[in-house]
Amino acid sequence: QLDHGCALHTAARGCLSSVSTQDVPAERPRAIFHTNESDPAKHTEHHEGRLYNIPLEEVKAVFPHGLPHRFQQQIQTFNEARVMVRKPALELLAYLKGSNFAHPAVRYVLYGERGTGKTMTLCHVVHYCSRQGWLVLHIPDAHLWVKNCKELLQSSYNKDRLDQPLQASVWLKNFKISNERFLREIKTQKKYTWGKQETTEEGRPLGEVVDQGLARVRSASDAMGVVLREIKQQSHRSSFRLLVAVDGVNALWGRTTLRKKDKSPVSPEELTLVHNLRKMVTNDWRGGAIVTTLSQTGSLFKPSSAYTPQELLGKEGFDALDPFVPIPVSNYSPREFESCYGYYLERKWLQHEKAHTEDGKAELQFLSGSNPQQLDRLAGPL
Amino acid sequence: LRLVYTTTAVQRKNVGASGPEKYTEAFIKKQIEEFNLGKRHLANMMGEDPETFTQEHIDRAIAYLFPSGLFDKQARPMMKHPTEIFPEQRKIQWGEDGRPFHFLFYTGKQSYYSLMHETYEKLLNIQKHQDQLTVQDLPLQKGKRNLAGSRWLTKIELEEMLLEKLSDDDYLRFIQLLQKLVALPCADIEEEYIQKFSKEVPVQLQKAVIEPLQYDEQGVAFSTGEGKRKTARATAVVYDNGSGKITVNGIDILHYFPVLQDREQLLFPFQFLGRIGKHDMVCTVSGGGRSAQAGAIRLASAKALRSFVTEKEVEFMRQAGLLTVDPRVKERKKPGQEGPRRKFTWKKR
Repeated sequence: QLDHGCALHTAARGCLSSVSTQDVPAERPRAIFHTNESDPAKHTEHHEGRLYNIPLEEVKAVFPHGLPHRFQQQIQTFNEARVMVRKPALELLAYLKGSNFAHPAVRYVLYGERGTGKTMTLCHVVHYCSRQGWLVLHIPDAHLWVKNCKELLQSSYNKDRLDQPLQASVWLKNFKISNERFLREIKTQKKYTWGKQETTEEGRPLGEVVDQGLARVRSASDAMGVVLREIKQQSHRSSFRLLVAVDGVNALWGRTTLRKKDKSPVSPEELTLVHNLRKMVTNDWRGGAIVTTLSQTGSLFKPSSAYTPQELLGKEGFDALDPFVPIPVSNYSPREFESCYGYYLERKWLQHEKAHTEDGKAELQFLSGSNPQQLDRLAGPL
Repeated sequence: LRLVYTTTAVQRKNVGASGPEKYTEAFIKKQIEEFNLGKRHLANMMGEDPETFTQEHIDRAIAYLFPSGLFDKQARPMMKHPTEIFPEQRKIQWGEDGRPFHFLFYTGKQSYYSLMHETYEKLLNIQKHQDQLTVQDLPLQKGKRNLAGSRWLTKIELEEMLLEKLSDDDYLRFIQLLQKLVALPCADIEEEYIQKFSKEVPVQLQKAVIEPLQYDEQGVAFSTGEGKRKTARATAVVYDNGSGKITVNGIDILHYFPVLQDREQLLFPFQFLGRIGKHDMVCTVSGGGRSAQAGAIRLASAKALRSFVTEKEVEFMRQAGLLTVDPRVKERKKPGQEGPRRKFTWKKR
């Protein structure tokens, strides 16, 4: 095992004269697209195009709900979580490392065509932040909150708004898993009354609020609102940094498919969850960063060819998010394509004989157009 | 009762018409005069010069004045010389006294037998000439006829020439006689006669001309090709020194053809030649559905790639079916049926 680790480590430095191990002859080519650095903080351009491993326990702790579905299946199949280090992620990490947290939070918007890896980049950044000890507020897909909701309750806090207890409780559960220690440290600063009987005193750990929300599902959305407000107020004062990671942020300003009981359409402002999230995404707080992704796949009433912030956010969203730093995410570069292909080959995912040849590789590149999602789908049946 | 004496000619009036109408010579002459007059009138109408008004001009003028949407060209209005319209007919073969002109009239197929007679006469002529040459000990000339590029008249053509019906047997006999004639060494003498009965076969399939490569401003070689499939028409420009990027109507193929099947069709010519990442392509396509457009672009790109590739590979492509236009189109719906083939539901009662 020591030799094994040694071979990987030395080979990762680019030096190919590794100690020859007897087990797998493909050790050497393996090392070209893998890297040993599993801490995103140390990723540089040197690591670009390479895949790094996230230990499975970390995956469960950091990403209870963040990863795309297909990637989760891939983790299950390969028994390891390998994420590719790509340029947009490196760019974002550089910005985050160099940002001044005394200033208001900077907003970053990841945009790109369908299937180019925006969500994966977001997950990479989330991993980095959680490693660094930030408090991560990760909303996996804001589109889930504006469509297909079965239960809409009228909010007790504000008569105009509508609650979504199910979605809120699911999110609270996942939030609890990912940020256990913060929930013990952060204390509430106000007294909150839930319904008629339950109250939360001032100075109690936030974990209690979360538990309250989970126990009383009716007040889950209000609990979430409380959590968000507390965190926002305390971020610039306290010792922790806050990362707000929202996937599919264009859902907050679009239309919804939900209808009230009298069949009139619901606009996003009338939903408590959306309202609170919008407050989080405004840059009137300090001590953290906001990283968002635009997503066309879950978006409602938008053409499938739209991918720029202008189109997907609409005028309202664009004005609300302005100013932001746009970061485009594009298809694989030839080097990234090679490493992805090499990874599939190495894990024996590509079973077809022709897939191992150069021609097969060229064919895959042509047919998928170097789009990560297409490549993933193509390689599936092979 | 009075006996009415009628001639056989009068009696035959009520019997059915005997074959196609016979046109008299005077009739045909009158038609020709009328045609020429009409031609001059038409030229005047169209504002052209009557002297230089050819058949082509007539056709165009008639098509303009009497537009017709009928599919059959023969059914549309036409104005042609009477000799083309009225089929050639045999003039009456006998004189006023009833005596036929030709000595073989009573054989029934007078022109055929007279033709055989003539041909045999020529054969005998050649044999006599041959004998004369052998007597004089002169060398016999070999026939220099090139049989490869010529063919004999077909039965229908021969019928048209002789203006009478032939049977297959008769035709065969005539051809055999001609072949025997040609086989003789001194057939050059009667060359003129033989040429009346032979036609030149058109030259072998003209190979499609492969255009040479063109070079644009930066010196990059490119070539164009056109293709079609069903109702889709496509033009493709293939550039050398590329990276495998393909643009259709200004849109990347991933976006224009979201279905994998269409992209595989586009990939096929390049994959076949093993040049997947080497060429760039810019195409325009219109009409048809997604599959038809994909097929059209495939054909266009294969045609464009011919200029980059050796002749042998072009032959391989042709055999692989990359260079053939797909003739399948939507079949017409027939009346009495629900679709081209599907019949209406059959009800027993």
